[in-house]
Amino acid sequence: MTPHDEMLDNIAMYALGSLSPGEAAEVAAHIETCKECRAEYQFMRPAVTAVAYSAEACADASTGAAAPSPLIKARVMQRVRAEAGQQRVPHVWPAYLFAAACLAIALITGLAQIALNARLISQGQTIADLTAPDARRFAFSGGEVLTRGDHLYLAMRDLPAPPPGHVYQAWTLAKGAKTVAPSTTFLPGSGGATVVRLPETATTLAAVAVSVEPTGGSKQPTTKPIALVRI
Amino acid sequence: MAVEDAGRLMERVRARDADAFEVLYDEYHRLVYGLAIRVLSDPLVAEDVTQAVFLKVWSSPTLFRGGNFAAWIARVTRNRAYDLLRSRAIRDEREIPESLPAEDAIEDTALANVTAERVRGALAQLPPEQRELIELGFFGGVTQEEIARQTGLPLGTIKTRIRTGLRRLRSALEGAVTV
Repeated sequence: MTPHDEMLDNIAMYALGSLSPGEAAEVAAHIETCKECRAEYQFMRPAVTAVAYSAEACADASTGAAAPSPLIKARVMQRVRAEAGQQRVPHVWPAYLFAAACLAIALITGLAQIALNARLISQGQTIADLTAPDARRFAFSGGEVLTRGDHLYLAMRDLPAPPPGHVYQAWTLAKGAKTVAPSTTFLPGSGGATVVRLPETATTLAAVAVSVEPTGGSKQPTTKPIALVRI
Repeated sequence: MAVEDAGRLMERVRARDADAFEVLYDEYHRLVYGLAIRVLSDPLVAEDVTQAVFLKVWSSPTLFRGGNFAAWIARVTRNRAYDLLRSRAIRDEREIPESLPAEDAIEDTALANVTAERVRGALAQLPPEQRELIELGFFGGVTQEEIARQTGLPLGTIKTRIRTGLRRLRSALEGAVTV
């Protein structure tokens, strides 16, 4: 192998980003003066960058690939909109969060009619809790439970629609209890991202679970939980 | 998303358009998170990286100088993840480098039609001994000497396999790569 062949091998390592700073500087200087090596680098470079694409998380959670919590987007967008001078009022939240929060509030209250002021106050509390730096997060496959003081939220991503005639139901396990208690029933929000506020007092609980149940909910889980997280 | 669409959205982001930023987030957060978790193997730290990268896009949109946004944000993510990996100080709040090599934007336009699925397929076609070294080098964030130490292979063998694998990968993506 000639020294130039060795340089061609080094160009592959340079493109991959696996050279030490000194070695990389040497290759970079050579590329500036050698037409053949520059062409080799330009040929290699897209292949290396393409490798990054292979890591993209799949949209379908059933494949086992992952996606970040919906709360990450909520946090990022809260800051972005604040800095943009476009801090939105609740009715123009990101669609998934707005739909999910409305759903959560409606489910919590169990009322079809909610006073407008009460709704806005509740929504404001929800977004404040979700984005608070002192909120505690308990991740599980497919989502996370978030607590802030006594407040308790369930956030799930890529949640498919349940079978016809069924809903998702949350369950809570009180500290020291041996059986779970039924909590809120809910349906996926827009795009499968769902944030539900649960009515239970977070500080009294040891765990939260979710299962698929017949519409109207169950008194005890009738299917295997799709999520279980200790808090 | 087409390269030119992302470019237009970034122009709006420079004008402080939060709606345009949100579209970019929806389109590219899986790439950023997927790459971060592949490098760091820690979902929570990968979420921190995802948040940091997108906030960097928002706070310093001029760092993107045109070309393929996906390739650019992948590189920003990789740099951030490498910083964390190499420092082993996952709470370090160092900023992402303000500047990136000037040729990146030009090179990245080559990838306008490349999808994750297509790259996965092309990687799967490589001989395992080539694919594994490429992935170790790319996602591991280690130098060639460290690759040699981890694999027990001679350095020359590693270089040859990686070069051959990258050339095959590039050829397999021919058609999708537009340069």
